Amino acid sequence: MQIGLTHILVLSATLFFIGVYGFLTRKNLISMLMSIELMLNSANLNFIAFNKYVWPNKLEGLFFTLFIIAIAAAEAAVAMAIIIQVYRQFKSVDVDEPTIMKE
Amino acid sequence: MIQYLLQVTNTHSADSSFWYLPVGVQFIFAIVFVAAMMGLTHFLGPKRKTSDKLETFASGIKTHGDARQPMAIKYFLVAILFVLFDVEVIFFYPYAVNFKSLGWDGFMAVLMFVAFFLAGFIYIIKKGALNWED
Amino acid sequence: MNALILSAIWGVVMMFSGIFTKSGAAIRGIAITGLALLLVVNVLDFQGTALVDINTRGMLVYNTFSYMFLNIVFGATLLYFFLSGSDMERVGLHLAEYFALIFFILAGISIVASFQTLLMLFLGIEIISIPLYILTGSDKRNLKSNEAALKYFLMGSFSTGLMLMGIALIYGSKGSFSLETIGAGTGVITPLLGGGMLLLLASMSFKVSAAPFHFWTPDVYDGAPTVFTSFMATIVKVAGFFAFIRLFETSFGSVQAQWQLFAAIITAATLLIGNITAVFQQSVKRMLAYSSIAQAGFMMFALVSLNGKGSEGLIYYAAAYSLATIGVFAVLIKLNDYTFEGFNGLGKSHPLLAATVTICLLSLAGIPATAGFMAKFYMLSAAVENGKVIWLVILGVLCAAISVYYYFRVIQAIYFKDGEPQVAEVSTTFKVVMVLIAVLVVYFGIFPQRLTDFLYMVY
Repeated sequence: MQIGLTHILVLSATLFFIGVYGFLTRKNLISMLMSIELMLNSANLNFIAFNKYVWPNKLEGLFFTLFIIAIAAAEAAVAMAIIIQVYRQFKSVDVDEPTIMKE
Repeated sequence: MIQYLLQVTNTHSADSSFWYLPVGVQFIFAIVFVAAMMGLTHFLGPKRKTSDKLETFASGIKTHGDARQPMAIKYFLVAILFVLFDVEVIFFYPYAVNFKSLGWDGFMAVLMFVAFFLAGFIYIIKKGALNWED
Repeated sequence: MNALILSAIWGVVMMFSGIFTKSGAAIRGIAITGLALLLVVNVLDFQGTALVDINTRGMLVYNTFSYMFLNIVFGATLLYFFLSGSDMERVGLHLAEYFALIFFILAGISIVASFQTLLMLFLGIEIISIPLYILTGSDKRNLKSNEAALKYFLMGSFSTGLMLMGIALIYGSKGSFSLETIGAGTGVITPLLGGGMLLLLASMSFKVSAAPFHFWTPDVYDGAPTVFTSFMATIVKVAGFFAFIRLFETSFGSVQAQWQLFAAIITAATLLIGNITAVFQQSVKRMLAYSSIAQAGFMMFALVSLNGKGSEGLIYYAAAYSLATIGVFAVLIKLNDYTFEGFNGLGKSHPLLAATVTICLLSLAGIPATAGFMAKFYMLSAAVENGKVIWLVILGVLCAAISVYYYFRVIQAIYFKDGEPQVAEVSTTFKVVMVLIAVLVVYFGIFPQRLTDFLYMVY
C-alpha cells in the first residue's frame, strides 16, 4: 500500500480531534496541556504533508513548522510556570479546583 | 554490502525504499553492539549477590521515602530553561543549510538572533536562576 | 518597521534595567523614555525618514493605516504609563519585568499592524499573548490572579491550536501564506479553504472576545491585576481587531458574501450578551469587562461592513475607546472598593477626578460631543453604507441605549450619592494626564476629522 496524502490528513485530523476531545473532557491540567500540544502537532503534520504532496517545490510549510515548535516550547514554559503557581496556591492540578470567581 | 557503499551510479528512484538500507544497517549494528556488550559484561564480570544491591539505586546516597514527593522548584526551573534554549536552536537549521546563499545579510540576521538569545542567557544568569546553592 | 525593532530592543533594555537599579522611579523613567522614542521613531517612519531599512520580502507591509494605528497605540500606552506606571509597583516586586513584557507586547502589536503573511499573523498574535499570560498571573499571592492566568492560558492556547489548523488548511488549498495570494484566487470557496477560514474566524473571535467565544473574558479581566486589565482591555484588544480586519479584508474580501452572515450573527450576539450582562454586574471592574465585550461588538461592525469607512472608523474607535477606558481604569485603580458604592461621593471629595472620569464614561456611553459618539456613528454609518445588514444597525442603536444605563450608574454614584470614597494618594502628573485625556476625548468628539485626516495625508 502506498502511503499518500489522504492517510496523513486522516491521521492529523484524528490527532487534532483527540486533542480537542481531551481538552474539553480532561480535568487534569497536565493532560489538558498535553491535549493542546497534540493539536499543535497535528497542525505541524498537516503542514509537512501539504508541503510534500501538494506543493513539493515550496518550503514555506516546513518553516512554519519550525516556528510552531519554537512557539509551543515558549508556551509550554509559561504553562508550567502557571500550573506550578496554581498548584502552590490551590494544592491541586485539577481544573475544577480554582473556582473562587464563581460566586 | 561493499558494492552498495562504493557504487557511483544507481538506477533507483529517489523515493525508493532502497535508500533506507543504510538506516537498516545502522539499526542492526546498534542492536548487535548493545547485545554484544551486555552479553560480554554478563559473562566476564564478577557477581556478588548481597541485599544492598537489590535496593533502589539513588546515585550512591541512602534512599528515603518513595518517588512521589514534591521536588525542589529548581529542577523545574532548570528543565524549563533547558527546553527553551534547546528548542530555539532549531532556527539554526535552515540557516546552516543555506548559509552560503544568504551571504552577509543572513549572517547579520543570525547574529542579531544570537544577540537576543545571549541577552536572555545573561539575564537568567544575572537573576540567579541557575544558582544551585542559595 | 523601526518601531518593531526599537520596541524589541527596549524590552531587553527594560529587563536589564531591573538588575542594575531597584528604584521604581528610575525604571519608570526608562520606560517612558523608551515609549516616547518609539512614538518619535514611528512618526518619523510615517513621514518617510526611516532610521534603518530592512527588506522583509513582503512579509511586513506598513501603510498609512498601520502607522496611524501604531501612533494611537503608542500614544495611548504613553498616557497609560503616566497614569498607572506607579501602580504597577503595588502588583509585585518585578517592576522592570512588567515594563519589559509590555514592550514585547508592543513589538507584537507592530507585527500585527503590518503583517502580510499568515506566518507573521501567527507570530504577532503569539508575541502579544504569551507576555499577557504572565502579566495576568503576575500577582502571585492572589488566588484570583492565578485562576485568571490559568483560564486565559488554556483558552488562549486552545484558540491558537484552532488558528494553526486553519492556517494549515488554507496552506493546503492555496500553497502560500501571503494574504494577497490567498485573496487573489478566492472566487469560489473550496471545502478546504472554507474550513480554514471558519477556523480562523473562530480563533480570531476568541482573541478579541467576541460572543460566543467571549466566556473567558469576564473572569480573566476581573482576576488580572487592575493595572494590567486596563492595558489588556484597551490596547491589546484593538490590536486584535486591527489584525482581524486586515486579515479578512485582504484575504477573504472577495468572498465576503459567504461569511458576512456569520460575522453579523457574531456581532449581534456580542452586542446583546455584552450589554445585557453588564447591566447586572455589582463590581465596576467586572462591569468594565462586559462593557469591553459590548464595545467589541461595535468594533465588529468594521468587519461586517468591510469598507473604507469601516477601516477609518476602526482607527477612530481604537483611539476613542482606548483613551476613555484607560481613564476610567486609572481612577478605578486608585479606589479601594471596586463596587459601584466605592464611587459614592467622589464628586464632592475629588471634583477634578470625578469630572474627568465622568467625561470618559459619557464617551463610552456614546453621548454626543464626545469621541465615543463619533466612533459609534462611524461604525453604524459604515454598516448603512454596506446596506445588507440594516437589522444589525437597529440592534446596535438599541444596545447603545442599554449601555447608557450601566455607565450612568457610575455617574449617579459619583454625583448623587453620599459617601466617603477611599482614594489613594493622587499625584499632580496623574491629574494633568487625566485632564489631558478628558480634553482629547471632547476635542476628537467635536473635530473627528483631525484624527482621520492623517490617514489621507501623503508625505
